[in-house]
Amino acid sequence: MSVAADQAKSARQRPDQYVEPSVSRTKFDREVGEYRALEEEYLSRGWVMTHASFPLVRVMMCAAQLKPPAVIVEVELDFTNYDAEPPSVTLVEPFTHRPYKADELPTILKRTVGAPAGFLPPGLPVGSMVNIQAQQPLMQPPNDPDGLPFLCIAGVREYHEHPAHSGDLWELHRESGAGRLARVLEVIHKYGVEPIADYQVQLALSVTGFIQSSFPE
Amino acid sequence: MPHQNQTNLDVVVNGQPTVVEGSVNAPLRSIIEKALEQTGNTGQPPDSWEFRDAAGQLLDDTKKIGEFVGVKLFLNLKAGVGG
Repeated sequence: MSVAADQAKSARQRPDQYVEPSVSRTKFDREVGEYRALEEEYLSRGWVMTHASFPLVRVMMCAAQLKPPAVIVEVELDFTNYDAEPPSVTLVEPFTHRPYKADELPTILKRTVGAPAGFLPPGLPVGSMVNIQAQQPLMQPPNDPDGLPFLCIAGVREYHEHPAHSGDLWELHRESGAGRLARVLEVIHKYGVEPIADYQVQLALSVTGFIQSSFPE
Repeated sequence: MPHQNQTNLDVVVNGQPTVVEGSVNAPLRSIIEKALEQTGNTGQPPDSWEFRDAAGQLLDDTKKIGEFVGVKLFLNLKAGVGG
């Protein structure tokens, strides 16, 4: 294990397992087993499972549509206490597993959202047709400065533990499959990998002199 | 064995495979409820789900089922409201 990966491992705080371990492990095995059954399809999307040992799953996500393909991010899911609790989801560096801080994220999973129904900007007459769209990142910054950015969707432990979502309990979503491995990966792929169309290249040109056509005597 | 005009579709609901029977002339969205029921994903209404193919491309669920025979269909929960 590299020094960086070792540091990343020791720096993470992992929750204690209070659910009967065999229950969480059985459900973990089901998640991994279903993934393995479709592994070829997922690989064609650029998903590579790099680790699957209870309670952790890591899946590297690549932009397979690029030439050459690019590794975008690695997703780490922690199924401790699953599914009394949803999985914890963290975006980590692909080769060290170190969690990204908010300002280091290679993608913030932007999604387009429309204005609420009936919303009318001030100044417009009643009945006006407006089409307002905004971009909302699904990766949200942490509350405390030392925290990690989190995936702000139901079915993710960090979402349900956030004070702003105290009214949206995990129990309301557990039966919907919101915390399933494939679903979490689908969301990250949809908003973080699929929209990548090409490499963005910046060339810095500088003038270093002149080309002369001749050198007169 | 499906009846005439009926066909079986391979559907993967949140990563869990199942086979759903539907009419080739019905819209794809008509099988969502059955697919959810068969896989025990009962917590969200059919409108909260979307179909994608194996490559991850979004599929038009108003098209007829007959156009998707032989296609592995991935039925995924939409992201919902974030933030």
